Amino acid sequence: MTRGKWHLNLTLATVIPLAVIVLSFLGGAPLHTLLSLIVVWSIFAIGFDLIFGLTGIISFGHAAFFGIGAYAYAVLTLSWGVSEGVALLAAILFGTVLGALFGIVSLRISGIYFGLTTLIMAEMVNHLIAIKLKRWTGGTDGLAGVSRPEILGLNVYDDHIYLMLLVLVFWLVLLGAAVLRASAYGQVLSAIRQNPVRAEQLGYDVSMYKCSAFAISGGVSGLAGALLGGLIYYVGPQMTHWATSGDVLIMTVLGGRGTFAGPVVGVALFEFLREGVGDISDHWHGLLGLIFIAVTLWMPGGVVGLIQERVRRRRALRAELRRATIRTEGAT
Amino acid sequence: MTGTLIIGLSIAMMLFLLAAGLTIIFGMLGVINFAHGVLYMVGGFIAVEVVNQTGNFWLSLLVAPLAVAALSALLEILLLRPLYDRDHVEQLLMTFGIILVLDEVVRTVWGLGYHDIPLPGSLSGAIPVFDSDVAVYRLFLIGAGLIAGLGLFALIEWTKLGIVLRGAMTHPAMVRSLGIPVSTIRTIVFALGGGLAALAGTIAAPLIPIQVGMGFGIIVDCFIVVILGGLGNIRGAIAAALLLGLVRAFGQQYFPEWIELSTYLVLMIVLLWRPQGLFTFSKGRKA
Repeated sequence: MTRGKWHLNLTLATVIPLAVIVLSFLGGAPLHTLLSLIVVWSIFAIGFDLIFGLTGIISFGHAAFFGIGAYAYAVLTLSWGVSEGVALLAAILFGTVLGALFGIVSLRISGIYFGLTTLIMAEMVNHLIAIKLKRWTGGTDGLAGVSRPEILGLNVYDDHIYLMLLVLVFWLVLLGAAVLRASAYGQVLSAIRQNPVRAEQLGYDVSMYKCSAFAISGGVSGLAGALLGGLIYYVGPQMTHWATSGDVLIMTVLGGRGTFAGPVVGVALFEFLREGVGDISDHWHGLLGLIFIAVTLWMPGGVVGLIQERVRRRRALRAELRRATIRTEGAT
Repeated sequence: MTGTLIIGLSIAMMLFLLAAGLTIIFGMLGVINFAHGVLYMVGGFIAVEVVNQTGNFWLSLLVAPLAVAALSALLEILLLRPLYDRDHVEQLLMTFGIILVLDEVVRTVWGLGYHDIPLPGSLSGAIPVFDSDVAVYRLFLIGAGLIAGLGLFALIEWTKLGIVLRGAMTHPAMVRSLGIPVSTIRTIVFALGGGLAALAGTIAAPLIPIQVGMGFGIIVDCFIVVILGGLGNIRGAIAAALLLGLVRAFGQQYFPEWIELSTYLVLMIVLLWRPQGLFTFSKGRKA
C-alpha cells in the first residue's frame, strides 16, 4: 500500500464517523435508527470484507459469526447476569473462536468448495441455535428485552446517545481496519488474495494467515451482532440465517469489495435504498437482486471501485497532458 | 424396514437428479450454480400450475422441465456468458443474484402460501413389497430417477454429444479449435441441468408442499452430496446421493432429532479427512 492511500484511509476513518454524528443532528428518531443500523451493519461489512475483499475468500457463512456474537451477548446478559461490557467482549471472543473453527475446517479445501462449506457450516449453527439449544436461545422466538452496553453512566436507552456509542465503536473498528490494511500482516493477506501459491513459496504460512484472518473477521462480526442485539433489543435465529450472510455480501459488493470505504458505502446505499423504495418495499429483495446482477455484470468494483477507476483515469490523462506540454515546450 | 429403504432410495433419486445437474454444470462451466434449488422450486410451481389448469400430471412432467430448461438457457446466455473470463467468484455472485430475483418472481406470482397437487390416479395407492406396504408413487419416483440418471449417464458416456461435452470440460480451447461452438455447448449443459432440477421439482410436487424457500433447503443437501461425491464427478454423486438419502430415511425413523446435525457432522469429518470427496479416487479436480 502506498503512503498516500494509508493517509487517505486514516482520514476516512475519522471523517466517516464525524459525518455520521453531524448527520444525526439533522433529524429525529427515525434518522437515528437508520444511522444506527448503518453503523452496525458497516462494522459487520468491514469484518466480512477482511475475508472477502482483502484475503479474497468467498464466505457465505458470516451470519454465523454475527449471530453467535448476538446470542452470546444476549444470553450472558439476560440469563447469566453478566455485565454488558463483559458480555460485549464475550461476543467478540465467541465470534473469534467460531471464525477460527470455520477456518480450520474449511481451509482444508480450496476456492469454490469453500463457499459451499461456509454456507453449510452456518446452516449448522442456525440449526443449533434455532432448535438444539432452544433452552438457552429461545428457539425460533429468539430472545427479547436485550439490554444495551452502558458507558460512563450515559443513558444509552436514548437512541441518539446509543448512536454516539455505536459511532465510537465504529471509529475504533475503522482505525483498526486502516492499520491492519497498512500493516505487514494485511499486506500478506492481500498477497494471498493475489497469488496464494506465490505467497506460500515466499515462506508465508498461508493457512495460518487465512485462519487468523477468519478469527479476526469473526470477532468483528460478533461485535456487530451484539451491538445490533442492543440496538433492537432483540436477537433471533434469522440473524444466523443465510439471507443475513447474503445481505452483508450484497452490501459489500455494492459498495466495492476490497476497498477501505467500500463496505461502509455499500451499507449506506443498501439502507437508504431500502428506506427510499417505500411502497415497493415488499419486493425489496427482488429489486436488490436486479441491482446486484447489474453491479456484478457492469460494475464489479462497486461504487468505490468506479470512483477509483475515474480518479485513476483522470490522473493518467493529466500526466499525459503534462508530458505533452513539456514535449511541446522542449520543441519550441 | 423395506418401507424405509424405499423412502431412502426415493430421496436419493431426487438428490441425484439435482446433484447431477449441479455437478455437470460445474464440470462443464466451472460454475457453482447457487440458483439450482430455485430452478427446482420454479419447476415445482410450474407443475402445480399445469396440474391446476389441466388436471394432467403427465403433461406437467413434460412442460415444467422444458420451460425451466428454456429459462436456464436464457439465464446462461444473458447473465453467465459475459462472466466466464472473470473470476469464479463473480459467477457465484451472479447465481446468487438470480436466486433473489426468481424467489421474488415466484413470491409475486404464486404468493407465500404452500401449494400441492394430488397424486396422479394411476400412481396412488400402495402395493406390498416383502414385509411392508410401499406407496406406488415412491416406486415411480425411483424408476423415473433411474431412467433419467441412466439417460444422462448414457448421454455423457456413449454419445457424440457426450464426447464433446467431456472434451469441452477439460480442453475447451482444443474443442473450440475443432470447430465446435463451446459457448452453445455451455448453454445446452446449463439448460440440461436446469431441466433436471425442474424434473425433480415436478416429481416432488405430489409429495411435498411447494412453497417459496424450498429451494434453499434442498440446495444445502445438494451441496453436501456434491462435496461428498466430489464436484464434477457424476458417479460420486450417485453414491453420495444414495448414502445421504438412506441416512435421511433411516435417521428419520430411528433418530429424527439428530438427523440434521449428524449430516452436517459427517460432512465436516469428510472434509477434514478426505477433502477431495469420498468417491474420488484419482487426484480430483480442484475448484
